[in-house]
Amino acid sequence: MEKNNEKFTIEEVLEKTGVYVGPTVGVSMLPMLKNRRDSVIVVKKTERLKPLDVALYKRGNDYVLHRVLEVKEWGYIIRGDNCYSNENVPEDTVIGVLREFYRKDKHVICTNEKYLRYAKRRIATYPVRRVFFVIKQKLYGLARKIIKKKK
Amino acid sequence: MKIKKGFVIRSVGGENVVVPVGEMSKNFHGMINLNETGKFLWDFFSQEHTLEEGVTALCGEYDVDSSIAEKDVTRFMETLLSNGFAD
Repeated sequence: MEKNNEKFTIEEVLEKTGVYVGPTVGVSMLPMLKNRRDSVIVVKKTERLKPLDVALYKRGNDYVLHRVLEVKEWGYIIRGDNCYSNENVPEDTVIGVLREFYRKDKHVICTNEKYLRYAKRRIATYPVRRVFFVIKQKLYGLARKIIKKKK
Repeated sequence: MKIKKGFVIRSVGGENVVVPVGEMSKNFHGMINLNETGKFLWDFFSQEHTLEEGVTALCGEYDVDSSIAEKDVTRFMETLLSNGFAD
């Protein structure tokens, strides 16, 4: 972040202003958020998050925006909408929560019922998506072996 | 001067925030808040315009003295140019 030539991290922006607005980077929250097309509005965490919330947390020097699946005493079980493994995220690494986002030019507020239905559906269909993902991975592996043998 | 492509304005709690998208988001990591006048000038300079045209447009939109408008538009243009938002 830059303000009057001073540079701030996302964490500092949240601390100073309570809100961060920026572009999305990566594919882990597809199909909801598309890489470098959409924008997110994240507010500073002021209370414990709940399932379906999208948490902004720090993983080393990176900032990650993924969905809360379960709330635990020590933190959260979190997974990106387009990911196939869960992460255990400690409470103190979570710095913000997604409040709104722009999908292209469509403005979505995270309390919107249609959005919440999408979030629930994304979690509910995970086991099926995971089966297809594993099959796809195995087929790719098989194809690679066949191609290697032919060479 | 014209504002480069690759920026969008998002309304957040009544404020206007400029956000980079696409390729622009790889190089620009800032967050700029625009007040009402800033939003007006940002929209105006989305098309190629000169300082004089900006001053005329600002005076036409707001009840403002032309010398003050010139100062504001100049500062706005300088900020945009020096931060790589426009060329």
